[in-house]
Amino acid sequence: MTEQQTALTAEDLVAAIEQCFENGWTDGLPVVPPIPSLVNRFLEHTDHSPTDVIWTMKQVKRGCTVQAAAINAAMAGCKPEHFPVVLAALEATVDEGWPGLGGWQSTTGGGPLLIVNGPVREPLGFNAKGNVFGPGFRANATVGRAMRLIIMNAYGVKPHALDQATQGFPGKFSLCIAENEEESPWEPLSVTLGHDAGVSTVSALHTRSTEHIDNRNTGDPASILNDIADTCGRIGAMTRRFRRVGVVIGPEHAQLLAKHGMSKQDVREHLAEHSGRTAGALRAAGRGEMAAVFQNTPGVSAFDEESVSGIDQVADDDLVTSVRTPDDVIVVVAGAANAGISTVVQTLGFPTKTIGTAVIRS
Amino acid sequence: MADVILMEKRGIPSAAICTDALKMSADAMAVIQGAPDYRYAVVPHPVSSLDADGIAAVAQLAAPQVMNILRGEAP
Repeated sequence: MTEQQTALTAEDLVAAIEQCFENGWTDGLPVVPPIPSLVNRFLEHTDHSPTDVIWTMKQVKRGCTVQAAAINAAMAGCKPEHFPVVLAALEATVDEGWPGLGGWQSTTGGGPLLIVNGPVREPLGFNAKGNVFGPGFRANATVGRAMRLIIMNAYGVKPHALDQATQGFPGKFSLCIAENEEESPWEPLSVTLGHDAGVSTVSALHTRSTEHIDNRNTGDPASILNDIADTCGRIGAMTRRFRRVGVVIGPEHAQLLAKHGMSKQDVREHLAEHSGRTAGALRAAGRGEMAAVFQNTPGVSAFDEESVSGIDQVADDDLVTSVRTPDDVIVVVAGAANAGISTVVQTLGFPTKTIGTAVIRS
Repeated sequence: MADVILMEKRGIPSAAICTDALKMSADAMAVIQGAPDYRYAVVPHPVSSLDADGIAAVAQLAAPQVMNILRGEAP
């Protein structure tokens, strides 16, 4: 350390942290003051120029440079070697399409769930096992937080102004998991999305919730999937009839399903077929019009008048499914293999083109 | 809000209607689009849960404001 650095006092550190609050740079929690020498260590982990713009958000006329991403990753508490994951996380989140469509600004209040796959998980310390959605793991906590700080600081999407979230959800602080590939009976998400096995990736799914399915009551695979489908089809999560769902299956459930011969595709097909509510239940909740069909892309053409006009003919007992195709069921295996617990991650209606994904270039 | 301001910049007379609960975001977007004093019609929140009569009442409130904006008069 230099003479100057050793002369710093605890009060200096507190003052630097407080300065970050005063500058409006935090998510409400203290951040690591992004001194240039620290930010430079992050920039050493990418071939990009600091001035390269990763993505421009046209509606707010702001882009995020590599340097801005590095500053926010440093503030979030990442290690410099996490920086390639942060860059890929932003690329994946943008790839999904929601940021350009106002997803970060919406009253619906969601944010990206980041899913890390591949060999970087172990050396970088990403947790894929117990408490995978919870605290205790620096890589998960800080990479997810870096994404939020980038949204707030680089793009200027902050609450009570451009972020119009009515309530938001805790995952907006940080939401980053790794897939438990070692205890999964199926191919990892990255391979399902078209990446080669062994390639490290981040995938991003815009979400508003994590909802648990605690079913340790049965060994029947169809019953477990029906339980998960019940949460997938929850009425309250609807914004339009169809939506994509993320299903983070615990290893115990996944292994039980696989033991009975079910592939990942079988799971997706079962959930797409059984997720929904009866037309009567929708009407009872004031959502009768949700039985109308909306196309898979937003815009004027999203509204299918012919199907809307037919809604009154759907019988009360008929199931109105909420997932258009098995492709809109995103399956990830994560968590500990110690109980029959899985999680459904709800998304926003009228799905964008696909879940976002990007390769980690370290 | 951004769309309406961009249309105005292309010379297309436009008027936005916003509920009072969303004014903060509308004003923030107007600043970003370089039109910090941009005027728009304001109606009470909420709108999406109203029935047809409720929507008609909101339209009664919005219409004169919209006309004034399009005429370049005070809303």
